[in-house]
Amino acid sequence: MNLLRYVVVNILGVVLRFFPWPCRTGLAEIGLPGRDSPVFLTCNYRLTVARVRWALRGTNAYLLVANSRGVNVWCAATGGLLTNHDVLSALKTSGIEERVDHRRVILPQLAATGIEAGVVAKKAGWQVLWGPVYARDLPRFVESGQTKSKEMSEVAFPWRQRVEMAAAWAFPISVATALILAVLWRQAFLPSIFVVWGLSLAVYLPFPLYARWLGSRARGSGAVLAGFAALWVLVLCGYTSYQYLLGQGSWAEVLRWAVLTLVVLLVMGVDFLGSTPLYKSGLQEDRLLEVVLKEERCKGVGYCQDVCPRGCYEVDRRLHRATMAGAQRCVKCGACIVQCPCDAIHFEDAKGGVIPPDTIREFKLNLMGKRVER
Amino acid sequence: MLMRILESAPSRYDRGLRILTLGRLDGVYERLISHVEEGQRVLDVGCGTGALALRAASKGAWVKGIDVNPQMLEIARSRARQAKLDHRVQWAEMGVAELENEEAVSYDVVVSGLCFSELTADEVAFALQQARRVLKPRGLLLLADEVVPDGLTQRVLNALLRIPLSVVVYLWTQGTTHAVVDLPHEVQEAGFIVESTRQQNLGSLLELVARRPAGAGE
Repeated sequence: MNLLRYVVVNILGVVLRFFPWPCRTGLAEIGLPGRDSPVFLTCNYRLTVARVRWALRGTNAYLLVANSRGVNVWCAATGGLLTNHDVLSALKTSGIEERVDHRRVILPQLAATGIEAGVVAKKAGWQVLWGPVYARDLPRFVESGQTKSKEMSEVAFPWRQRVEMAAAWAFPISVATALILAVLWRQAFLPSIFVVWGLSLAVYLPFPLYARWLGSRARGSGAVLAGFAALWVLVLCGYTSYQYLLGQGSWAEVLRWAVLTLVVLLVMGVDFLGSTPLYKSGLQEDRLLEVVLKEERCKGVGYCQDVCPRGCYEVDRRLHRATMAGAQRCVKCGACIVQCPCDAIHFEDAKGGVIPPDTIREFKLNLMGKRVER
Repeated sequence: MLMRILESAPSRYDRGLRILTLGRLDGVYERLISHVEEGQRVLDVGCGTGALALRAASKGAWVKGIDVNPQMLEIARSRARQAKLDHRVQWAEMGVAELENEEAVSYDVVVSGLCFSELTADEVAFALQQARRVLKPRGLLLLADEVVPDGLTQRVLNALLRIPLSVVVYLWTQGTTHAVVDLPHEVQEAGFIVESTRQQNLGSLLELVARRPAGAGE
């Protein structure tokens, strides 16, 4: 994979982050893989495939690209677009079984919300190994004998990802506003682009500074609302006093900018929490559920610890007991529920109603964040 | 309104497909199933809500319908109950990858409607290979699917027509289909004899009848 192509795919992938971008599915060779080479599996979102190939360059491996309808691993697995069937299919129809002697496939850890390791083992005879969350950790994962450190299994929101997320929002919004303003208010065409990108960066870059007010349970859409309102007021005050000091501008102009920035911030704020990897989307109904571990059913297998992207679990290997020591960090992704072979973990709603693990395994969240059952 | 449409996606799937195929789908399915005879064993690959499977069952065939979508299968099941055909149809949540587990030389007919266009290239090749394996000698493969039209003009016209339709159908059902390139050729490659094909809707909707050659068992 050459550098130019990698950069282009990254830029396009980042600014068009919210749109599916499928690439070819099937088996790909990285380097000169042999019969013992590791087999990695990922989704067919082009940006992900580019990053996985980039991370694995210089090694010898097989890469299976499964059909996730062009959507990234976490969203596809949680939304029923990357399923057991897609993984079984990649293993059975790609010809990988004739190429390697082993039957061990490394899946991205975030696929654990949708892919059941037990089903893949039973139906295809392949053992699933949960790899790191991020593609960039793949070389370290391979070097350390296919084991991962705690940080390799947790999602994070470092500045690079925050810039990416800011760009993902800013690009489509700035294009839309610029197109509208080109007709309605020609003078604001260029400034609006800067304003949108500025607002988006102002929302995402200082995330660590205000993260503690979002609360550990993150039900508080209130905090988000207050934050966005504060930002709006701040920007408007700044703009007005700047115009006042220069002795130019008019109230009509201030009003226009007020409306414009309000609309932009409203759009960005719709799913602010869901745009971070640390909180469940504010639009998904699962955010209102609690993950409950029934200790009497737990046999200490430890799959929960292996797939939890927030490091919530601690497993005592001697007592064969798991505990949810970091429960307040939970993003309610449901991966632990899907993987637990003892059905010891389940979702509970606010009234204490139990949602059986099989429901979570079978019915995925749809585009509107609802679990469609019948 | 939009929310409700999106929420109830699977139950609206059939209607969405009817729009995408400009209302031609029922006719296509009827013609395909006219090849099925009473008492035959039929496998419906990607049965969805059971459109083909139930038609075959109502002609007196014994049908197994497979699909990867449990919600679709649930609708298929209740439709079978309503039509009092549930004793003739067996439903299974499985994908083409699991066709390996079906007994060889055990079906008279394999049907599939608008399923191959949702599969990956590897899956299409694998499904055809498995269809040939499970079919008895002289067994029939009946396909209806969306294909890329042959001529350039037709391709362009088809693309123009499809874009707005696809958007509507996607919003309605959160699903869409991707045309298959040169399906008859792939069917031949898999060792079938293509007996007839028929294309409609600017050549984008293909019906195909193929037969597994006699003799040369698996």
